[in-house]
Parts: sequence; C-alpha cells; structure tokens
Amino acid sequence: MTNILWLRASLISKVVVYVLLTLAVIFTLLPFVWAFINSIKTSTATFEPGAFIPFITFQPTLDSWHNVLSDPQAINAFISSIVVSVGTTAVALILGVPAAYALARFQFPIGSSDIALWFLSQRVLPPAVVLVPFYLLMVYLQLIDTWTGLIFCYSAFNLAFAVVIMRDIFRDVSTEIEDAAKVEGATPWQIFWKISLPLSVDGLVVTAVLIFAFTWNEALFAAALTSQSATTFSALVLASRSTRGVDFNIAAVNTLIGIIPPVVLYFFVQRYLARGLSFGAVKG
Amino acid sequence: MKAKHVRPGEYGAVFKYVLLLPAVLWVVAFTFVPLIFVIHYSLANYVLGLGITDYVGLENYADVLASDRFWHSIMVTAAYVAISVPIEVVLGFTAAWLVNLGAPWSYGFRTVIGTPLFTMEVAIGYLGVTLFSSQGGLVPAVLGLAGVHVPWLSTAWGGIAAAILLDIWRWTSFVFVIVLAGLAGISSDLYDAAILDARNHWQVMWRLGVPLAWPVTTIAILLRTVECLKVFAIPYALTTGGPGTSTEVFSAMDYLTTVQFFNFGQGSAMGVIFLVMVAALLTVFFKQMRKRLA
Repeated sequence: MTNILWLRASLISKVVVYVLLTLAVIFTLLPFVWAFINSIKTSTATFEPGAFIPFITFQPTLDSWHNVLSDPQAINAFISSIVVSVGTTAVALILGVPAAYALARFQFPIGSSDIALWFLSQRVLPPAVVLVPFYLLMVYLQLIDTWTGLIFCYSAFNLAFAVVIMRDIFRDVSTEIEDAAKVEGATPWQIFWKISLPLSVDGLVVTAVLIFAFTWNEALFAAALTSQSATTFSALVLASRSTRGVDFNIAAVNTLIGIIPPVVLYFFVQRYLARGLSFGAVKG
Repeated sequence: MKAKHVRPGEYGAVFKYVLLLPAVLWVVAFTFVPLIFVIHYSLANYVLGLGITDYVGLENYADVLASDRFWHSIMVTAAYVAISVPIEVVLGFTAAWLVNLGAPWSYGFRTVIGTPLFTMEVAIGYLGVTLFSSQGGLVPAVLGLAGVHVPWLSTAWGGIAAAILLDIWRWTSFVFVIVLAGLAGISSDLYDAAILDARNHWQVMWRLGVPLAWPVTTIAILLRTVECLKVFAIPYALTTGGPGTSTEVFSAMDYLTTVQFFNFGQGSAMGVIFLVMVAALLTVFFKQMRKRLA
C-alpha cells in the first residue's frame, strides 16, 4: 500500500528516498557478495591482496563448496539445526502463546506487565554464565548431545519473545468480539482457540520467525551441549576455529548455506510482516 | 488503557492459571534453577573431576572484582553496546520509515534490508576477518584507495570498531523488522491529517511517525540492549579477544574462564556480578521508558 506521504512527496524527496534505500541495499548486500567471492577462492587466496574479481585477479574454484556439501558432518549439522529450530519454535509457541493470552486478558495478583517483564528478565542472563549448570543439568537428564536437550534449553530462552510479543498482540484483539462469544455460551478455551488465536495469526507468524532465527543463530550452547550427533550448523562453524585454524573459504560457504533456511522462511512470511503489528502501540 | 483490556477474572479464575503456569514452570526449570546453581558455585571452590571441594564465601567475588581483566571486559562490552545500539536504532528506524512509504519496489527493499537478521553471527564474525584483514581484506583495500589506513584487527580500538560495524550490519535489520511492523499498523487517516499541517515530509516523520512508533521502538531498543549486553559470537569469531585480551567482551571472558579453564567458581561469580549490574541498568532504563510512555 502506498503511503499518502509518498504520493504527495516532491521529486527531490523521492530521489532522496531512493538514494538512501539504495545505499542501504548496497550496505546489506556487500558482505554477501564478499562471502560468495571468498567461497570460490582457495584457502591461500583468501588472504591474497587484490584477489577481488573472479577469473581476473584470481582463479575461482568450487572446491570449498564441494568440501562442505560432501561432508557428512556438515549435512548432519544442517539437519540438526533445522530440527532443533523447528522444535524450539513449536515448544516456545505452545507454552508461550497461552501464557501471553492469559496475561493479556486476565488479572493476576501480580501486574501482568510485571510478569511479562519477569519472562523477559531471563533473556538478560548471558549464556556463558549458565553454561556449566546447563551442562550438568543435561548430563543429569541424559540429554547431552541430543536434539531434545537443545530444544528444552532454547525454548526456555525464547519463551520470553512469545510471551512479550503475543501479549501485546492479544491486547489489540477487540474484547467485544470475545464478549459476544461469551454471551453465546462459548467456553474460555473456545474463545481463546477459535476466536482470539485466529485473529492473531499475523503476530504468531512473526513471533515464530523471530524465534526460529534466534535459535538458528545460537552457537555457544550448541557447542557446549553437543559433541557429535546433535551438533548444529552454527556450532560446527564456531568449532572450525579450534580444529584446524579457520579455512575462511569454507567459513564463507557456511555463511551462505547457513542463511538459506531462515531466509526462505522469511520470504514466505513477508506479507504477514507488512500487515502491521502494533506491539501494544495505540492504533489510529 | 490497561483497564480496558484486562477484564475482571469472573470466569477465568482457574483457566488463566492453566494457561500461564506451564510457561512459568518451564522458565523456572530451565533458567532459574540453573541460576541457583550458578549462585551456589560462585560461593565454592570447584575442582574439575572432584566437584565442589570447599566453600570459600565471597572470595570468588573479591577475586573477580579485583581483576583488571574483568573490568576491562565490562568496559569493552559497555562501549560496544553504547555505540552499536543507538546507531542500529536510528538506522533501523529510518530504513523502516522509508520502506513504509510504499514507493514502487519497496517490497524488494524490505526483503533485502531484513536479510542480515537471518545470518549466523559466528559466520559473520569469520567473514569479518577476511573483510577487515590487512592482507587482502576488502575494507582496507577500498579505504586504501582513498588514502585512509585503519589498523582494524591489529589494535584494540580497530578490532572493536570492526566488530561494531559487523554488529550494526547484522542487527539493524532486527530494529528494521520490528519498527516496520509497528509502522504498518498506523492508520492512513493519521497521515492524511498530519500532512495538512506539516510543512514537509520530515516534519511528518518527527511529529507523527516517531511518537506513534515510539512504543514499538522502545521494545526494539530494550530487546537490542539486552541481547547486545550478551554479545559473544561476532567479536569472538572476529578477534578472539585480541590483540591480547584488549577486545574481549564479558561473555567471551566468562566463557573462557568456565569452559576453557574450568574455573567454575570464579566464572559463576563474575556471572552473578554481571547479572546484578545489568538488572540495575535495566531497572533504571525501564523507569525512564515508562515515564515517557505514560
């Protein structure tokens, strides 16, 4: 939808807008282009001065792509990342969304915004601080190096997003619709499940994408709590330093492969992002 | 506003707890229980293989507070957050405002500008090494054409600056996505009204856009600050804290103390100290934010 501000803008304003947006796009794309150039270099060429243009200043090769794609460990890590991210998103939403709804609709002895803040407060905890107790906890639960163990941890960390964002979204769902349903004899559960939730799908999708992306990105816990079979892609990338020094051409391939699943997801849900979330802001 | 949304709990008395409790218990089990362990370790002398050998009271805390390396990492982290978060918020907000104008091709702009949010920070840190390296790095080569020579990865401030640039690249998209979603929720009637008594476009942005998007922006600022205080992957992958430990952020130091040197006692104590400092900061921050919201 085109904004009236754009329709009324002067030609100069329009040019300025396009120039700024184009600069933003260049700034955003440059590292990706650089990653691609690195990915087709040999590992010695990655630190060769002036090796910027394929075929002209260096001889491109697909070796590093071949290395990564034929490495069973990398494939396994990739699958792990997908399973763990999807699982985490599911668990965080299943637990977080009902809680968010309760906080948006009902009164509690403690203020609902204080409870939401409490959820958020555990995001303050730097992962490095709780690494050891988590490790011991996972050993105790026999969940070390398993997908389940990672999903448990990550869903707890990301629950705050589900609670805080969805609470604000539910607050924007008109209570009149719910009241009408109540008069018709709907149970509280039906009101939540059949009315409020479907009306909040946009927010749900955005929350899911954010949780997926955050989980996908996490490396520290994944590195500490897995050793082999459940290692995620980001943990594999992190570990590439300790094993054989960093092969930066391989790291570049990993950068590019690593963005595929979340970016694909992002493309699919784009339209939801545009419809507008207010995160509790007053709508006009 | 609150009263309008929250209804008296006439029929929800039990139901509301059924909805809320699983989430609360999950968070307690998986974050607050470990936190209690951390406090426990922080008071003890932990030897790998033997477990806790004895309790040393506040000795770990005293050691941490007397450690230059700890305070240095706090300063690095503070500088990192203080520089990168405001820039990310300003850039992210501006980009969201421009894209929200709905000019032709904004769909494409939106897609591209949001993409960095979905990259892996570790990979970006490694990519940064090749971007900023004095040997064959893209950034020094481009700046070199303009006669500018910055010692990116060989000095402390250069390393921090490089990490901050990567952080800005990676996380501006987060502010962008959240603020854009907020801006899309503003009714077009408000623009119609605002344009009548504003002199130009930028005035509309300041008078209408910023106030209306402020609550969403507050959430973005808060989340960004909280995440940034924990920053680990980008600077660690980029510089490993070097040269020496000059660019070491708090999380990296705590990680090395616990995981590499297995000094659980001190690692836990510094975690608790950090947590207290962050909690104090956020309390003040929240009070300010609430005042402005009210």
